[in-house]
Amino acid sequence: MTNPTSDALIQMINVDKFFGEFQALTNINLEVKRGEKIVICGPSGSGKSTLIRCINRLEEHSAGRIIIDGKELTDQVKDIDAVRREVGMVFQSFNLFPHMTIVKNLMLAQQLVRKIPKAEAHKTAMHFLERVKIPEQANKYPVQLSGGQQQRVAIARALCMKPEIILFDEPTSALDPEMINEVLEVMTDLAKEGMTMICVTHEMGFARSVADRVIFMDAGEIVEEAEPEIFFNSPKSARTKAFLSQILTH
Amino acid sequence: MSFDLSLITESIPKMLAGIGITFQLMFLSAVLGLILAVILLLMRISGKWYLSWPAQVHIYIFRGTPILVQIFIIYYGLPQFEFIRDSVFWPILREPFGCAVLALTLNTGAYVSEILRGGVLGVDRGVLEAGSALGLSARQKFIYLTTPIATRLALPAYSNDFISLMKATSLASTITLLDMTGIARTIVAQTFAPYEVFISLAIIYMILTWIIQKSFGRIEKYLSRYVNP
Amino acid sequence: MDAVTGWWDDYFWGSMIVLQVFFFSLLLMVLFGLIGAAAKLSDNRLAQKIAGAYTVIFRGTPEILVILLLYFGSAITLTAIAQMFDPDIKFIDVPPMWAGTIAIALIVGSYATETFRGAFLGVKPGSIEAARALGMSNLQTFIYIRIPEMWRLALPPFGNHMLSLIKDTALISIIGLNETFFVAKQAIGTTGEPFTMYIVVGCIYLAFSTIITLSVMGMEKFGARTGEGAR
Ligand SMILES: Nc1ncnc2c1ncn2[C@@H]1O[C@H](COP(=O)(O)OP(=O)(O)O)[C@@H](O)[C@H]1O
Ligand SMILES: [Mg+2]
Repeated sequence: MTNPTSDALIQMINVDKFFGEFQALTNINLEVKRGEKIVICGPSGSGKSTLIRCINRLEEHSAGRIIIDGKELTDQVKDIDAVRREVGMVFQSFNLFPHMTIVKNLMLAQQLVRKIPKAEAHKTAMHFLERVKIPEQANKYPVQLSGGQQQRVAIARALCMKPEIILFDEPTSALDPEMINEVLEVMTDLAKEGMTMICVTHEMGFARSVADRVIFMDAGEIVEEAEPEIFFNSPKSARTKAFLSQILTH
Repeated sequence: MSFDLSLITESIPKMLAGIGITFQLMFLSAVLGLILAVILLLMRISGKWYLSWPAQVHIYIFRGTPILVQIFIIYYGLPQFEFIRDSVFWPILREPFGCAVLALTLNTGAYVSEILRGGVLGVDRGVLEAGSALGLSARQKFIYLTTPIATRLALPAYSNDFISLMKATSLASTITLLDMTGIARTIVAQTFAPYEVFISLAIIYMILTWIIQKSFGRIEKYLSRYVNP
Repeated sequence: MDAVTGWWDDYFWGSMIVLQVFFFSLLLMVLFGLIGAAAKLSDNRLAQKIAGAYTVIFRGTPEILVILLLYFGSAITLTAIAQMFDPDIKFIDVPPMWAGTIAIALIVGSYATETFRGAFLGVKPGSIEAARALGMSNLQTFIYIRIPEMWRLALPPFGNHMLSLIKDTALISIIGLNETFFVAKQAIGTTGEPFTMYIVVGCIYLAFSTIITLSVMGMEKFGARTGEGAR
């Protein structure tokens, strides 16, 4: 079977995901074009994390096809490594390497995966630390940084790999309110520069200003998919309305 | 019954003459045991039943039986077989020292492997996922993420096991080795002054325990610099 | 294995002695552990110091040395005391079983001291306060909240202490307790098969360890079921 012709960077076709008996994703169809920004929202347990984790194969999908930049995710290890190099990921809990300084956090994968020489990796690391506005923290350990700073480091770490796309899994929901904006600012800058992004978040202000499309998920399904204007002003599904009214009154 | 001070001052240097054997037993078994522990650990987490099973059986047997039995089986038991006496290992197995090191190694290897496994299991899954997401291979994650983090997590338990190992070296005296305990037992057999001799020796062991604890405390502090900087 | 035939009954009685030592030392170990923990938790400085010295001494000294000291030490002490009353007494023999039982109970009790102390301190003040807020009395709180919670915390290390005890019984053979080791030695004398005889001893201990491990696992399951739910 040949890949369906498409200019999409990411294609998910009829994707199902089971955890044992439990179906976490049902018939997911999603296309993301180069440069597009997608925001995914939905209640807790609706399968948002599972969906984006299938894209870089932290979870294996059970049925359907996932094609990243023309490469299909199969059991072949080589493909997966190639795909992971193109796909950056930022986690809710930062997941910095606790035993390495900030700059080493940014250098490790460059050196090991991209085989970049140490000096150049260091230069790249410092470049992106400046982009996220914390070059002065380079030689500290993650615990010495605030949550907002750690998350910016995590974004810089993903950027160092020069990915085609970055996946964000609730990047601000573990942060104290006063730190949310510094992270969202960095993400907005990235979006302006044309980075392809899929972002699970409940920051509706961010969704309105940055997203090309907003996707609402519930019970493992994509319920609604629309431009932010339409999504927020005239949602079609009753489930979306109910969810939005809950989120927006908060 | 009286406490004989001169006996103490006489017997302490005599017992200290055996500290070399105690140290040799301890360090040799610690190093070899650590290597064995890592091998057993890798076998256990290999995901292959024909590797993980033998490792689990080894751990089960050596943690489930007294070390004294293990020492006796190796020292008194193995020579029962002619093929052992004919093998290249005979020069080692003939000597009580070789047998003691072998028994202590097999024993501490089993315990330490479980300690290391605890450390490996304690590594935050999110950190490893971050490694995967960056494209690190399983081997790279193990070397650069799991190993350093698990080492720090396992160190307190490892230091306790090291002390147990140090204390267990005294059992070498049961197979005729003249380590500190072996010498103490001969002195007591001659003088019949258990209090003076054994208490002095106990104090020497307690000092060793203290030194080991302090040393590991140092290492722990260094390895934890990124946790409490 | 043919050589073992004829020795099974001796091994059986040897095992009974192992069990006997195990049970008595278990009782004493719990007693020493509780006293040690109580002393460490008390406000009495002297009690704290003594309990502290107790744990340092018995955790820092090889087990075999404690056993030898208690055995030979108590023998000459008792002899000296007896000679004060009757100078003709040459030597009083202390039964190795009792010296050994007390010795291993003291050793493992020093570890149990820390376990019990940790379990007591590990009970979250929140659950105690919640119980008091619900109107439970001091005693009710202690019986229904603190004890079960302590039990849950202490059980896994307590299982390890029991394993230490059963394995330490082997050391008592050094001072002449006629348990399985002793049987093996006799058997070797007549059969000349040391490997076989000591393997039997190993298997007996492995069986005991397995039984202890399985029962602790069972108790943990039971505790998890009746415990305060998911944690
Ligand atoms: N590893 C797993 N094993 C079993 N069930 C899982 C696993 N990961 C997620 N799930 C289940 O899948 C569903 C979707 O989870 P998730 O994608 O994390 O939701 P969300 O990110 O939208 O909160 C949840 O019901 C969750 O319990
Ligand atoms: Mg999620």
